[in-house]
Amino acid sequence: MFVARSIAADHKDLIHDVSFDFHGRRMATCSSDQSVKVWDKSESGDWHCTASWKTHSGSVWRVTWAHPEFGQVLASCSFDRTAAVWEEIVGESNDKLRGQSHWVKRTTLVDSRTSVTDVKFAPKHMGLMLATCSADGIVRIYEAPDVMNLSQWSLQHEISCKLSCSCISWNPSSSRAHSPMIAVGSDDSSPNAMAKVQIFEYNENTRKYAKAETLLTVTDPVHDIAFAPNLGRSFHILAIATKDVRIFTLKPVRKELTSSGGPTKFEIHIVAQFDNHNSQVWRVSWNITGTVLASSGDDGCVRLWKANYMDNWKCTGILKGNGSPVNGSSQQGNSNPSLGSNIPNLQNSLNGSSAGRYFFPPLDSPRAGSRWSSYAQLLPPPPPPPPPLIEHSCDADTASLQYPHPRRRSLSRPLNPLPENEGV
Amino acid sequence: MLCASKALRCALRELPGGGASRAGTGRVGGGQSESVRDVQFSIRDYFTFASTFENGNVQLWDIRRPDRCERMFTAHNGPVFCCDWHPEDRGWLATGGRDKMVKVWDMTTHRAKEVHCVQTIASVARVKWRPECRHHLATCSMMVDHNIYVWDVRRPFVPAAMFEEHRDVTTGIAWRHPHDPSFLLSGSKDSTLCQHLFRDASQPVERANPEGLCYGLFGDLAFAAKESLVATESGRKPYTGDRRHPIFFKRKLDPAEPFSGLASSALSVFEMEPGSSSMSWFVDTAERYALAGRPLAELCDHNAKVARDLGRNQVAQTWTMLRIIYCSPGLVPTTNLNHSVGKGSSCGLPLMNSFNLKDMAPGLGSETRLDRSKGDARSDTVLLDSSATLITNEDNEETEGSDVPADYLLGDVEGEDDELYLLDPEHAHSEEPEYVLPQEAFPLRHEIVDTPPGPEHLQDKADSPHVSGNEADAASLVPVDSSFSLISVSHALYDSRLPPDFFSALVCDMLRFYAEQGDVQMAVSVLIVLGERVRKDIDEQTQEHWYTSYIDLLQRFCLWNVSNQVVKLSTSRAISCLNQASTTLHVNCSHCKRPMSSRGWVCDRCHHCASMCAVCHHVVKGLFVWCQGCSHGGHLQHIMKWLEGSSHCPAGCGHLCEYS
Repeated sequence: MFVARSIAADHKDLIHDVSFDFHGRRMATCSSDQSVKVWDKSESGDWHCTASWKTHSGSVWRVTWAHPEFGQVLASCSFDRTAAVWEEIVGESNDKLRGQSHWVKRTTLVDSRTSVTDVKFAPKHMGLMLATCSADGIVRIYEAPDVMNLSQWSLQHEISCKLSCSCISWNPSSSRAHSPMIAVGSDDSSPNAMAKVQIFEYNENTRKYAKAETLLTVTDPVHDIAFAPNLGRSFHILAIATKDVRIFTLKPVRKELTSSGGPTKFEIHIVAQFDNHNSQVWRVSWNITGTVLASSGDDGCVRLWKANYMDNWKCTGILKGNGSPVNGSSQQGNSNPSLGSNIPNLQNSLNGSSAGRYFFPPLDSPRAGSRWSSYAQLLPPPPPPPPPLIEHSCDADTASLQYPHPRRRSLSRPLNPLPENEGV
Repeated sequence: MLCASKALRCALRELPGGGASRAGTGRVGGGQSESVRDVQFSIRDYFTFASTFENGNVQLWDIRRPDRCERMFTAHNGPVFCCDWHPEDRGWLATGGRDKMVKVWDMTTHRAKEVHCVQTIASVARVKWRPECRHHLATCSMMVDHNIYVWDVRRPFVPAAMFEEHRDVTTGIAWRHPHDPSFLLSGSKDSTLCQHLFRDASQPVERANPEGLCYGLFGDLAFAAKESLVATESGRKPYTGDRRHPIFFKRKLDPAEPFSGLASSALSVFEMEPGSSSMSWFVDTAERYALAGRPLAELCDHNAKVARDLGRNQVAQTWTMLRIIYCSPGLVPTTNLNHSVGKGSSCGLPLMNSFNLKDMAPGLGSETRLDRSKGDARSDTVLLDSSATLITNEDNEETEGSDVPADYLLGDVEGEDDELYLLDPEHAHSEEPEYVLPQEAFPLRHEIVDTPPGPEHLQDKADSPHVSGNEADAASLVPVDSSFSLISVSHALYDSRLPPDFFSALVCDMLRFYAEQGDVQMAVSVLIVLGERVRKDIDEQTQEHWYTSYIDLLQRFCLWNVSNQVVKLSTSRAISCLNQASTTLHVNCSHCKRPMSSRGWVCDRCHHCASMCAVCHHVVKGLFVWCQGCSHGGHLQHIMKWLEGSSHCPAGCGHLCEYS
């Protein structure tokens, strides 16, 4: 179950990206105020800003961590047409005493002539590489040949996508059977109905990236794209944030069957498509095992999606952005007006057993530094519900599918987490 | 008309309405050492003008006093390329410089005060206030940037509008009419003159992503969203926005402006409750699984128990089934015998973890006898007998005594089991309050598909009530759930007929299933535990893929020891070399303090044995701990014990060693 911890970010403009590091103990945020902030998690679980510095002379769109094997390294990209690589300096200084760390710019990548919209480090097994994409539709792949020297990056590949790019995602698979692959999304809003997601694959023979697939069904502007952590799967899962949330699987067709040397062919299936956000979807993010997808949309909510054993994807949770109480039915939008009335039924079906409905009490003073701003608590006989922050049910059929599981009922623990904790 | 020269002067000629005939010429400013970049008459004051300089200064002049400037201040870091007075009577002056900034100064106060500062992405060559819009100004750059931006000075980071028509640098901009905010003219080095309509401008604000979202390692979610997005539904005004910029919300906004005030984001982290973290099962499992060093059946049982403790019944079930498939005594003749006798011998012990030692001893004894009689044609029948009579203790007394090797084996296994039993209650005790994990299992449907249908029916027919009753007696630690006992009992019924190869395809499918489900931990653990039994059926590349994925995951959770164990236990060459790269340890001799050049324990130079324990004076092999101050050290255990009693170095060198 979730507890919302609100953090006074103190960015002076919109925050465009949040990124956890490899170990999940540090967090970086970037904002239009041209700065990047690094947050470290203390023993008590509070997030402390340990560095904040001006990184670019324009809005910083994205920030991303490199694998810690390469040091504490961040990359950022900006409206000012550059991407930059930053490294934390470890050493004795006065800053350390104040709990501040020092980050230095190692390089600026200035090849783009337009806004650089995304930057991503390649999976570790490929070495120290990073990809950027820009509004002029070019994906650039850089490599630092010497991992000890972060100031030298050479431009290895330039891939032209023909469309203004908004997001990229590396395929994280470490299998030798999967050649390096990168998916590119475009937010081009011109009326032509071109496919907005292209997938490029590295060809060992030509040593170039070539287009492997185009997702023809995605024709609306794409704002985010994310491959799921692979974890030994033979296929790839790709989540796309466009006007709705979509999840695709890409199954490589066995090499023997295709002509050798050419790009891998994929069997592409759309396994889920959700318009529950009722609006533009801005971000998608996978959990570490690639089993739960989080998406956020213009409705200000985060929704969690998880597949059941039949590979049916369902909504398993809704989180409200600022941790404040919202009206449950209005948050559902018009598509599910029945949710409010649905709650009593759910309770009845559970026979009064405490199966975990969590409500957040109203905030006393919402922002005063990083601290517990709201506590989840169980209100045993649900009163006329204070609007739930976290819905464990998305709509009527989901609820009926999830709750009256006999085992759950017999093992009614008051604070059971979401079903995804099984993690399988 | 004002004109300024790049030379050291600033010149002024005044041409009042009458025309050139009455041109009174005057010179203003003498002895300026810097060249002037721009001069502009004030709109507010007839006699005042501003001039900007290469060195970053801005001067304010009164034309009636040509000898010295009225006011001077440093506006920019580097040349100030341009300035523009606000068209309305406000006394605001905008200046743009090479430092990529546009600053708005309030000149009405005694000291020029910076009221706004806009960061652009290139040096600012021209700046022009937009008519009829108090806070808008247009800028262009003569450097790399070809675009024209219109900024709202109150939101200094994001341009309100952007014109991207020019293909080369824009050299000049002008609003077409002093009272029309929609037409902008611009000239460029691409030989074009453009008239832009404000309506057509692209608005970067609209395209900017208002949200950030990231899934953390432990299932926590960081979410940053534009406050208006998350606040609208609750019907509240964004709190911080109000507080931070109170003025803008009070002022009546110009309807022509594309947005109102500043936007800010709310950042929050949705965390899992401590202990209920969605990945704690992974960490626990990784730490507690036994992967090697014990007989297969024990490993399976132990791992099954770990999984069940964590509420992962499906996984527990799988381990139990693996044990049944691979460890039933009927297999002993057929399994590869390069596994230790210990493994084979303890096979066939049903429900090891629910037995106490007394029960186990006779079981072991009978098994060992079986072992010795393997190859016998009657082994199968004996097997059935033994498992049937297992529960009765007295029956087995003589078997235990009769076998000489049984004692050895017994002692061995017993010792390990002691450890197991010592550990487990402790775990169970300490973890019960801590890990509130869902008891909810994954639906079992597919698992049933995995098991061969034939034995399943047999198993149903097995006299389960009888056996499970016995087990309930024997179970001292763990309540056995009934399905478990059902399956575990059934082994004797079908294992004797089916060779393990029969299952290997199924087991491989099962491993793949787990991998596809994102539980690579299970795939790798089973792969290691079963070793040769399944390895040949899964292609090398897949195995390697699983290993690398699992190791990566372990390292994310900082489970270095587990990850190293996995690396060590892996058979894939690409994996097992992982922990051998770049792990050089440089050692100095503790006698002569010189680097040890050769391999081994003896120092080349002083011919002393280098790694003696300072406590027991024996050579240390294995874990060696040094004091970094005096370089004395020894067995970890010895040093720990020593330093409990004394803070001085055990070698007697007088150093106060610190052990942390």
